[in-house]
Amino acid sequence: MRGAIQVRGLRKSYGGRKVLRGLSLRVAPGEAFALLGTNGAGKTTALECIEGLRRYEAGEVTVHGRAGIQLQSASLPAHIRPMEAVSLFAKWSRTDIDPSMLEALGIPEMSRKQYVQLSTGQKRRLHLALALTGSPDILFLDEPTAGLDVEGRLALHRQIRALKAQGKTIFLASHDMAEVESLCDRIAILSGGKAIFCGTPAELTERTGTKYRIHIRTDQWERTFETGDIEGRLAALLGELKQKNIRVQDIRVDRGTLEEHFMELTGRSEQP
Amino acid sequence: MNAFLYGIALQWRLDMRSKSLLVACYLVPLLFFLFMGGIFTSVMPDMKNTLTQSMIVMSVSMGAFTGFPPSLAETYGTDIQKVYLANRVPFCFGLATMFLSAFLHLAVTCAAILLLSPVLFDAAPPAQLSAFLPALALYIAVSLGIGSALGLAVPNPAKLAMAAQLVFLPSIMLSGIMFPASLLPDVLRAAGYLFPASWCYQLMLDGGLRLENLWYPMLVLFASAAACILLLKRLQAARA
Repeated sequence: MRGAIQVRGLRKSYGGRKVLRGLSLRVAPGEAFALLGTNGAGKTTALECIEGLRRYEAGEVTVHGRAGIQLQSASLPAHIRPMEAVSLFAKWSRTDIDPSMLEALGIPEMSRKQYVQLSTGQKRRLHLALALTGSPDILFLDEPTAGLDVEGRLALHRQIRALKAQGKTIFLASHDMAEVESLCDRIAILSGGKAIFCGTPAELTERTGTKYRIHIRTDQWERTFETGDIEGRLAALLGELKQKNIRVQDIRVDRGTLEEHFMELTGRSEQP
Repeated sequence: MNAFLYGIALQWRLDMRSKSLLVACYLVPLLFFLFMGGIFTSVMPDMKNTLTQSMIVMSVSMGAFTGFPPSLAETYGTDIQKVYLANRVPFCFGLATMFLSAFLHLAVTCAAILLLSPVLFDAAPPAQLSAFLPALALYIAVSLGIGSALGLAVPNPAKLAMAAQLVFLPSIMLSGIMFPASLLPDVLRAAGYLFPASWCYQLMLDGGLRLENLWYPMLVLFASAAACILLLKRLQAARA
């Protein structure tokens, strides 16, 4: 099936510093895809190359469909009002304004304010509205919730989920694991200018999380044990505790958070 | 075209909300006109013949060299331009709309001076309005052309303010609008003709649009347009 976004061998450098060293990835239509990486990994550069805002030295980028772009660092004239900005960009896109979209993002309630008077959350919502103004098929979001409080973050997550439910392809760059885990179907981890992993969050856990962690709290102590053999280790631990007559108050078993797997993977890839 | 016209109207509204632009394009020039118009015409009664033109040169120079470039630098030196590009707005859109909007603002100020100076200071109106108005339009365009090049070339606000003064002060001091240029030393009088203010002031006074007094402002206008195109290309390349 034709991908909504296809990137092959993307290379980009600033001066002598190579930021992208042959990035390749494919995003299916209607998919929510995240590009993960630490600060400075090249996520914004990759995103801007794919969006067509930045030139690249080599590689091939194909985007099928109309794109809406929300930039990480974005600004508007200080005195412009939200509806004026929406109208301006709608006219350039030759599209009609969707009142329900504006309503959902709370644009009418901030319409009397000038851009300079908007809060960070309101600015984020306005820039998302601008990205959606041309009725895009594909939405590029660069760190969409950076700088937002918990309430603003959750509200924006609801909006993004609603957009995904409408069938829009979402390409997100983020360093927030929780955000990615809750919003995206697949992720690519960018490290050393390449995608060192591309798959679902579950596949990432599968790939890196071979060890289970057993958290045990007893009436005497609380400890965490790591093991690859969950059944054997758990049985042995419980037998040992019973033998010593130590009472177990709580037991939890997990395979680590996405963040830990990410750290493990990027840590590995950065080793010489 | 619809989007472009909307952009000009929007820019006009944004300018009206910008205190700094209102101060530089309306408040200071008109206060200067009201205050200095009275002084000039009482100290030197002959200035009644040139007051309208000199105050217009002063107002246009102030608005175009000191008020306009910072707004342009803000648009092209910040992420505003990136947002415009991401939303399919042409790179030259900001410059074009801001130029035309500023042109209208300066024209309004000039119209106020043109109408008020005979009433308030008994100043002589331009002898030939049909020649005066094109000369005025040319001076506004040339000044905004220089202002545009400044705003695109110098993104740093402090350096931009200094660069603007380097054009603004000689334009008003050496063009003959404050006192007759014939009183200046030869070197300064010659230096004054490097600035379009001197040429356009004469154009507005004598009302004769001829190649010999048009060529220099036209040359500066085309040179600044070429500079703006090159600067826009450079900015766009730097963004990518």
